[in-house]
Amino acid sequence: MTDDTKTQNWSEEFWYRGKLTRRRLIGYGTAAGALGASMLVPAPWQAAFGQATKPYKIGTLQPLSGAAAAGGKTALVGTQMAVDRINKSGGINGRPIELIVADYESKPDVGRRKAEKLLVEDNIDVHEGGFLSNVCLACEPLFGEYKVVNMIGVCLDTTLTTTKCSRYTFRPFDYAPAQAVAFAPYLVNKLGKTWHIAYADYAWGQSTRDAYVQQIKKAGGDVVGTTGIPLGTADMTPFLSKISGNFDGLFGIFFGKDGVTVGNQAYDLGMTKKYKWAGDGAIAESTNLPALGNKIEGFVGINRYVPVLEGVLNTPYHKKFMDDAVVRLKQIDPSGPLPDRYVQSNYEAMNALKIGMEKSGFRGREDTMKLIEALEGLEMKEGDDFPQGDKVLRKEDHQAFIREFLFDIKDGKFRILEVVPKEKTMFPPDCKFAAT
Amino acid sequence: MSKRSATVYWIGFSIILALLIVAPLVLTEFWRRFLTEILVWGLLAMSSDILIGYTGMVSFGHSAFFGLGMYGAAAALLMVRPPNLWLAILYGLVGSAGIALFVAYFSTRLRDIYFAITTLIFSQIFYVIIFTWTEVTGGENGLTFRRPALEIPGLFSVPFSSETLHWFVLAVVTASYLILRRITQSPFGMVLQSIRENEARTRAIGYAVERYKMTAVMLSGLFAGLAGVLYALQNRFAAPDFVYFLVSGETVIFNVMGGIGTLVGPIVRAGFFLLLREAFSRFFTEYYLIPVGVIFIAMVIFMPQGLLGFMRRWLNQ
Repeated sequence: MTDDTKTQNWSEEFWYRGKLTRRRLIGYGTAAGALGASMLVPAPWQAAFGQATKPYKIGTLQPLSGAAAAGGKTALVGTQMAVDRINKSGGINGRPIELIVADYESKPDVGRRKAEKLLVEDNIDVHEGGFLSNVCLACEPLFGEYKVVNMIGVCLDTTLTTTKCSRYTFRPFDYAPAQAVAFAPYLVNKLGKTWHIAYADYAWGQSTRDAYVQQIKKAGGDVVGTTGIPLGTADMTPFLSKISGNFDGLFGIFFGKDGVTVGNQAYDLGMTKKYKWAGDGAIAESTNLPALGNKIEGFVGINRYVPVLEGVLNTPYHKKFMDDAVVRLKQIDPSGPLPDRYVQSNYEAMNALKIGMEKSGFRGREDTMKLIEALEGLEMKEGDDFPQGDKVLRKEDHQAFIREFLFDIKDGKFRILEVVPKEKTMFPPDCKFAAT
Repeated sequence: MSKRSATVYWIGFSIILALLIVAPLVLTEFWRRFLTEILVWGLLAMSSDILIGYTGMVSFGHSAFFGLGMYGAAAALLMVRPPNLWLAILYGLVGSAGIALFVAYFSTRLRDIYFAITTLIFSQIFYVIIFTWTEVTGGENGLTFRRPALEIPGLFSVPFSSETLHWFVLAVVTASYLILRRITQSPFGMVLQSIRENEARTRAIGYAVERYKMTAVMLSGLFAGLAGVLYALQNRFAAPDFVYFLVSGETVIFNVMGGIGTLVGPIVRAGFFLLLREAFSRFFTEYYLIPVGVIFIAMVIFMPQGLLGFMRRWLNQ
């Protein structure tokens, strides 16, 4: 009781003690002035293009805080790299890009609100970004409602370009069915006929599992069993130790810290020696390699991007991309990681938008349909805009098909085993657009 | 409440209600939707005030009631063609009430921190089920669906606009507030407050405390479920994140910082929190939670009775 009274008195003293003095007024005024001045500082694009040129407003939704913050910040590096490069080289149709970044805290409700803010308050012309599939799915209808093109940067959920496809949404990188088509023949013909799949037990893991079961069987192999492990499980040993029997290879479908956990614990249980060890490239993403150490040696994976300058990736444009990315990534992570597929796909997504906007003579939202038509079937050629390689955005479902890299880890580094051309990753479309 | 203060109360209530009715006509599209969302979160916060503020039971299970209301509405909107508003509400309420009964049966036998932990565990159980049962719940991706029309069978049926949706949500939240206010002032509400003040003594004078606590949890869960239904109607998606315990945590914060045992306080706090978050996020992007956190700490120190408690004392100066 006494403490409570004291607290109340203290707070009353704090709030009621004073009148507005001249000194306080100057102090508050200075603070408000500094805040106002910081808002009036011209954006970088204004210095280059002058005040008269109206910029394209491009929104980007990224999870910069919360559970997916690390990936979101990496993804934003790719977007900003592309925007800076475009603005330095004269913009799009002579107009600069004003990038409006919105952090959705890795939460779908915040994502939905931020998407509305970008569309209604900021009045963006197009959107590029999106990281978490559930947020992409929650926001997708809004882009259709406001008739704004949504170029996805990272979201992998298969249904975004199949059962839940939208005329306004494009995915300029691969998805699980295409990866399974590309990887299954190698798995069956070069590693082993029979497989057991361990996967992260949630939507992405489950849909990827189904894609691999289908394609491994189609390639003449067999999947003898599957084991789902809840997302974020710190100790996977009880699940992994149940996996036994007569099969050739263990296939893992995990990402992020789950990728590190499964890599380490499968090794500790001797499974990576007993069986061929393969899986989704997200297990051995460059950002995971330090934590996996030598336990990931020999892992065979598939990924749309590997940060190496060898083979088909030993090109001047890829080197330029990597050099720029490494410098920028070091600013957010002092350990200086190599770029991963999130940097690559956001960088290329923004460049795909640029090409579509140039091709369609896009002026603003009123030209959204023209932009959609320009992007449908768009062929992107390997070069400074697309260092990963050629790609095509299929008209029927707005899904891109790209080359895939099969790699293994040798001496702690990526080694490309095979490059699967985009033509050999094709998977039939399963999308019916609603009438626009 | 004296006659004079009752008059002041109802005049204040009418003015605020009138402002909320007029608001969508003057606000831009974004802020109109934002205000509607504040009302929805406010209803969720208000529902938990029945437990925290009036019964003295801190629940971390409100995310489960909110989420189940949302998924119940989603089930109706996906299964019934054409989607029907009243069925969505019915399914949502049945879903949340069923879960509330289940949770209440087991958790009300416990008190204080044990009750809080039990409700937390239940919400996490439902989260895991929803997260992994992809075939039914959509798993991590959740469910997306179409918004039903605003209709009264046989009379009219019109698609919701952002204005009509706001008024509909406002009507539901206002009705909920009045019902809850009446309940808290009824003999039943007095028994709940008696349990909060001294559970042993309440039991000693002959009240079946467990039954009252169960009813309070169910009542609270029902209104939390209603908030979930309204959220689903506004945003047209349901996601497992809403069942996660962090939503319950935010609800507790709304109560503690808005002023527990006031019903209106948690709504004010929900609005204040969402506005603060929105305003700071425009200047500090991913760092905006830092100033928001600092303000929270300052509020806990300087306004121990919550925002409404502080305002009340300030007005009484």
